[in-house]
Amino acid sequence: MTTSSVRQTMALAKRSTLELFRQPSVVVPSMIFPLFFAFLGNSSFGRTTSLPGFPKVSSYLQFQLAGTIVQGVLFGSVTGAAALATDIENGFFDRLLAAPTSRTGIVFGRLAGSVLFGALETAVFIFALLPFGADVSAGIRGIIAMIASGALISLAVGALMSSVALKTGSSEAVQGTFPLLFILLFFSSAFFPRETMSGVYKTIAGLNPISHLVEGLRALSLDGFTASATARAILVPLAIAIVALLIANTQLRSRLKSH
Amino acid sequence: MTVSPIIAENLVRHFGDVQAVKGIDLEIKSGEIFGFLGPNGAGKSTAVRMLTTLLRPTSGTARVAGYDVVKDADKVRRNIGVALQDAAIDPLMTGAELLALQAVLYGIPQSMMKKRSDELLERVGLTAAATRRVSTYSGGMRRRLDLALSLIHQPTVLFLDEPTTGLDPMSRLTLWEEVRRLNKEGTTVMLTTQYLEEADQLADRIAIIDHGRIVREGRPVDLKASVGAPTLIIKTQTNQEELAKTVLVSFGDLRPGAQGELGVGLRGGATQVTDVIRKLDEAGVHVQHLEINEPSLDDVFAEATGYRLEGSDNAPPAGDNGVDEPQTKKKSRRGRK
Repeated sequence: MTTSSVRQTMALAKRSTLELFRQPSVVVPSMIFPLFFAFLGNSSFGRTTSLPGFPKVSSYLQFQLAGTIVQGVLFGSVTGAAALATDIENGFFDRLLAAPTSRTGIVFGRLAGSVLFGALETAVFIFALLPFGADVSAGIRGIIAMIASGALISLAVGALMSSVALKTGSSEAVQGTFPLLFILLFFSSAFFPRETMSGVYKTIAGLNPISHLVEGLRALSLDGFTASATARAILVPLAIAIVALLIANTQLRSRLKSH
Repeated sequence: MTVSPIIAENLVRHFGDVQAVKGIDLEIKSGEIFGFLGPNGAGKSTAVRMLTTLLRPTSGTARVAGYDVVKDADKVRRNIGVALQDAAIDPLMTGAELLALQAVLYGIPQSMMKKRSDELLERVGLTAAATRRVSTYSGGMRRRLDLALSLIHQPTVLFLDEPTTGLDPMSRLTLWEEVRRLNKEGTTVMLTTQYLEEADQLADRIAIIDHGRIVREGRPVDLKASVGAPTLIIKTQTNQEELAKTVLVSFGDLRPGAQGELGVGLRGGATQVTDVIRKLDEAGVHVQHLEINEPSLDDVFAEATGYRLEGSDNAPPAGDNGVDEPQTKKKSRRGRK
């Protein structure tokens, strides 16, 4: 990337961030609902922590923290990608294309906004749940690693959702993936450890990438700041992000070619 | 010799089986305001999108600001200003923020951004609204901001795609003034419009495009002179229209009126009106209303296409071209001269 491309990407990232925070009706639900689910889960499933196979935790909230983060980040990333699709629908994308704008910068600018929002959401969830028993065993270094992990998960999911936006050019199509993400979340280890599951459900949860994203984060909150926990929390979303970015880039090229 | 800033040769664009632009040739000279006039779906926007590098031509070539629109697309983009009819302005940003973003996209140094942005805001009369979000702007304010955005890098060639569609008359006049001022300062302007008056008032030369082809091109005054005869419009009882036509055709070519009324281009000029009325009377045609119009661009359009731009009901369906231009926001047709 040239200096000019970096400057353009940063300016577009600023725009997507400003845009996001100027829509409280979009930001607030993606913060509130995961917290609501966390507290609901804590009161409903609080005693399940003593089940065989459940890891040693100080409270269900400590276990649930990683699931809450991933849940919030998933929904936040859909919002960012839907905004990209809206740019395509209303012609702002064309405005950018008519200027000597770095083509990848257009997508990266949007993703940078999502990444920043993902990091913020992660910090909010950690500090909101901390007083209620969601301890982070890895301490302050672990919290920093979790925030970095949350940002990477945002990048991965945001890039995948951006691919949908670039492919379809429809914000409705992007938002239509929301129920699918919700189902994927429930068929993962976001709310219960895989060790307590059985049958097909356990198999699906094992194959589900969301389980691996959640478990990476969970390793930091439960196991402490160990090399393996940090590697899981960072490398899994990083690997998914790289694949997702390649897919997004292919979709971008395809859209530009069709012009 | 100065190279013309916009040259197109046999420019063609297909969308699947649909031929939106069927081979247009253009040469727009430096310092001209060139009007591209046509109804919805005629191919105006598709042509402009090719010239502004947003669409690849299916065949043919075009050079804008001295560069090939396909091979040197990035250089074309750096040298032109573009205000597209259907490119939204982000309603959540302020005018000043959007200008700052546009300045970065065109590589304007940080040190010059504020000055340039302030100058443009003042120029389009938006200084007081600069820090307000665009969602609070009126349609006219948005168009003026759009114009300011397209000028941030001081382009020598400016493309305006239907710049006044949907605007109230006062906003339209303000924008016209600004376009004239820019042109006086040396900017070559290509504008698409479906408003006859806009083309007549602003353009040094116009091209009429219909169903993807340029059907007339020239100075408005020459085009109107080429039609020559004034148009006599009459209204009669529906069951007498065919009879009236047989009378009218002996005085010149039939030209439908804006509302589909019977009309004839009087070969012998306005003095023939009394003869026409006498002949109609002799034939038993009862004339309910009569008016005579000097040649207008609409007459030029009608002669070239067989239907009028004013009163879209007379226009045949966009048919094979109606793929590129939104059919909304374009219902009001004004500006007959």
